Amino acid sequence: MLQLRSDRVLEDYYKSRVIVFSAIVCLFILALLMRLWNLQLIKGESYDDLAIENRIRLLRLPPPRGEILDRNGNPLAENIPSFTLSIIPGAIKELPELVKSYSEPLGYPPEKMRSIIEKSFSSPKFMPFAIKKNLSMEEVSTLKSLSLQSKCVSLNVRPIRRYPFGDLFCHVIGSTGEISSSELEKFGRVGYRPGDLVGKTGIEKEYETYLRGEEGWEQIEIDAKGRRLASLTRRPAKPGSNILLAMDASFQKFVEDVFTERAGSVVVVDPDTGKILAMVSKPGFDPNIFSASISEKDWKSLNSDPLRPLENRSIRGLYPPGSTIKPVTAFAALSEGLIKPDTQFICPGELELGGQVYRCWNQHGHGKVDLLTALVESCDVYFYELGLRLGADTMAHYASLFGLGKPTGLELSQELPGLIPTNFWKERNYGTFIKDGENVTIAIGQGYTLTTPVQLAMMTAALANGGNVMRPFLVAQIRSPDGSVIFDQSPVVRLRIRHDKQDWALIRKAMRDVVESRSGTGRRCRVPGLNISAKTGTSQVISTREKAKPEDDVPYHERTHAMFVAFVDDQPRKVAVVVVIEHGGGGGKIAAPMARKIICRYYGLPDPGEPKD
Amino acid sequence: MGISYAGRGWKASFSKFEWILSLDAVALSLAGIALIYSATVPLGPAGKSFVIKQTAWLGMGLILLVLFSFLDYRLLERWGIWIYIIILVALISVSVFGRITAGSRRWIDFGLMRFQPSEFAKLAVVIVLARSLSESQRGSIDSWLELFKHAAFVLIPAFFIATQPDLGTAIVLSLVALTMVLFAGLSKKLCKVILGLALASLPILYFGAKYLLLDYQKKRLLTFLNPDYDPLGAGYQIIQSQIAVGSGGLFGKGFLKGTQNQLMFLPVKHTDFVFAVLSEEWGFLGSSIVLTLFLIFILRGLGIAGRSRDDFGTFLSVGCVSIIFWHVAINVSMVMGLIPVVGVPLNFLSYGGSSLLSSFMCAAALASVSSRRFSHLS
Repeated sequence: MLQLRSDRVLEDYYKSRVIVFSAIVCLFILALLMRLWNLQLIKGESYDDLAIENRIRLLRLPPPRGEILDRNGNPLAENIPSFTLSIIPGAIKELPELVKSYSEPLGYPPEKMRSIIEKSFSSPKFMPFAIKKNLSMEEVSTLKSLSLQSKCVSLNVRPIRRYPFGDLFCHVIGSTGEISSSELEKFGRVGYRPGDLVGKTGIEKEYETYLRGEEGWEQIEIDAKGRRLASLTRRPAKPGSNILLAMDASFQKFVEDVFTERAGSVVVVDPDTGKILAMVSKPGFDPNIFSASISEKDWKSLNSDPLRPLENRSIRGLYPPGSTIKPVTAFAALSEGLIKPDTQFICPGELELGGQVYRCWNQHGHGKVDLLTALVESCDVYFYELGLRLGADTMAHYASLFGLGKPTGLELSQELPGLIPTNFWKERNYGTFIKDGENVTIAIGQGYTLTTPVQLAMMTAALANGGNVMRPFLVAQIRSPDGSVIFDQSPVVRLRIRHDKQDWALIRKAMRDVVESRSGTGRRCRVPGLNISAKTGTSQVISTREKAKPEDDVPYHERTHAMFVAFVDDQPRKVAVVVVIEHGGGGGKIAAPMARKIICRYYGLPDPGEPKD
Repeated sequence: MGISYAGRGWKASFSKFEWILSLDAVALSLAGIALIYSATVPLGPAGKSFVIKQTAWLGMGLILLVLFSFLDYRLLERWGIWIYIIILVALISVSVFGRITAGSRRWIDFGLMRFQPSEFAKLAVVIVLARSLSESQRGSIDSWLELFKHAAFVLIPAFFIATQPDLGTAIVLSLVALTMVLFAGLSKKLCKVILGLALASLPILYFGAKYLLLDYQKKRLLTFLNPDYDPLGAGYQIIQSQIAVGSGGLFGKGFLKGTQNQLMFLPVKHTDFVFAVLSEEWGFLGSSIVLTLFLIFILRGLGIAGRSRDDFGTFLSVGCVSIIFWHVAINVSMVMGLIPVVGVPLNFLSYGGSSLLSSFMCAAALASVSSRRFSHLS
């Protein structure tokens, strides 16, 4: 039999090592037992004091959330105390007694009170269970003395968010609410805990890290009844930073009041900096209902409303720009050298293309038109001709120069990019290239093209400031609680449009004449003494331009969107305005007067009203 | 000459079944289930599923223990390298597809069950290291090449585990390997050089900790040095767990009566801090019984190592024992505030299927070595 090295039956080669290792293990365990002895029996009593009756409580001191202010320091979002009555299910001794004494001051019938308390039995035994939230001040005063008498009831105060202007800034500022479980997973590491308030939408969400501040804590000593005896150690909470918007609340209010239609959006910007002066999206909602926990009914009605009041249309509303894009198409054709300013086309009121008829809004036709007239009178056939010659890809190139088809970079991250169709895009999504019939519709801002109001505002601003596409911004400054400025906004030029001076001047003259000329489509925006330039748009929702029905016969959701873009560029303070009215009819008719009122207010002029002629 | 892998018949094996070790493991696991029940009662009805799951895993663990102890451990010597490779692949895939829980990727989701390969990696390393050590010249390792050959088996999985990040398991793995190498024996020359290197690497460690550790790991270290540093976050665990242990006293507050536990002052108490629940509710008496049970398990295991039929069995046993030992030492020290909080479960007691099953696999390997110590080569 072969002797293997590993064959060592009855051999004690490792015996000494086993003994050494066993001794080490014994010493180790002995050390642990000694530490245990020390903790439990020698220091035990002091730890016992800490634990028994839970004399030491660690209180979290939630940081006051930073405020959001307008440019004049008016609070747009502030904190107010909210009171909650809770019970500790594990501490309830006499249920009938509890029901009897609390049902009246809470305004609950006894049966309801009982069923609420019984519901708490299935929740964690020693965790406070909320009975009623957001108590009124009268309720608080009666409940305060009551709650001191019983051990199982506690009255807690926590700050909630209040928005003094109600729905005025709802889409810009957004709302706050209790942190959800998916957000907890995301933020758990940075100190968020269940029940914390967190920004859900708008500025409240985007600037959460600035607004939140830093949590503090306090170790307090309490007696058996849960009353506070003394504070042991304390680290105060650091309040969040304040955020100053570039907007003026009274101007925003004025703009909101001017917008009297059902749904749509208005964006007013300073073209030189990209500063948002007003941003209205209608319909809105009252963000205050989210701060206190929102009721099922309110949530359902907000969520199922077909007009979708929760959506910020200024950044998420996708509208065909209609004729408001014609200046871009004209600029494309001029820059590409396809036309000269005096190139003329004949508009017989329609254009036939492969058996399909594309109509001009003026069914009688404009006759012989040059570029200036085509822009001023918004002749569609002229632009159909340009669309045929330019093709979708070239038009898309020029649209992207004006920042269309991409988010503008506003601070609100939910912003949608819109859509500027290209052959590549069409091929990928539909398997075919863009046809001539589609090229002509793209030229007048119809078909696949979709833009958001804020994109149109930045496009208009670029026309007003000499070709700079600015990054729009809402937040002017962030200030720490002690008042020092942590962040100061500075204008950012996203794109510079290289242009021929004469071409540019022609387009601007045309936009001036849209307002000034007797045949201009934007005449209702005219303010004597102020040089307003503009472009109207009436964008179609359904793709027929067959017969013009009387407006009232068309169902609401099939009516055209009224679009209007306007700017003033010869004043020391420039301004650009975009008005979009969903299913509002014609842009020149309904949207232009709104823009006029807004511009008048901006320059402190009286509204001259509609021109008489 | 052949080796019989099936042992010498069921009857003989049954009589040689490792009863002390097995009953010890079962007693610890049952205590664990009672503690998990107590720890999860405050969670309301949702807590029950923890107890049910742990009981199911205990059942699976027992089946593993019986099955494995009747198999010859030398199967592991032959197939160990494949187990090791599979675990290594699993570890790498965890860092690619793993499921993120509390910020780390440690689990592979099989739908029905989540599987934590790092728990089983410790066993795989023990198996391959035992084989590699048993193939070396008996006595002491005195060439660097040889040492690096052994070390490579540990360092590769330890690296992937540390990047999950699961620093606790990576540390345990390294300590287990170190224990096995020391048991096999290192030459004096190597010992001296290693000690010197260790001292020289202290500054490197310091800067490594400064730049490589994740924020929460740094926070834990800082908090250990000063528990009041962040009493709501990492320091909260140390403070509350010490209060729980300390307030237990000699006899404890009684089953389901621990205020720290029932009032939910204790964090992750059914997993890493289960010992705190034990100390609070069962006092010094209960805690020392559990520690004694662990001591019996470890001493018995070392005894098995000493009487093993071959070197592979010896090193396998030492590895399995040191897995249990280092977990106990680190976990209990952590609960009592002796070392910083590192996420290491307490074998047999902590809630968690992967941890419980791998603990039973350790017991099974020891039982298999034990029941074969008298069998002869045929």
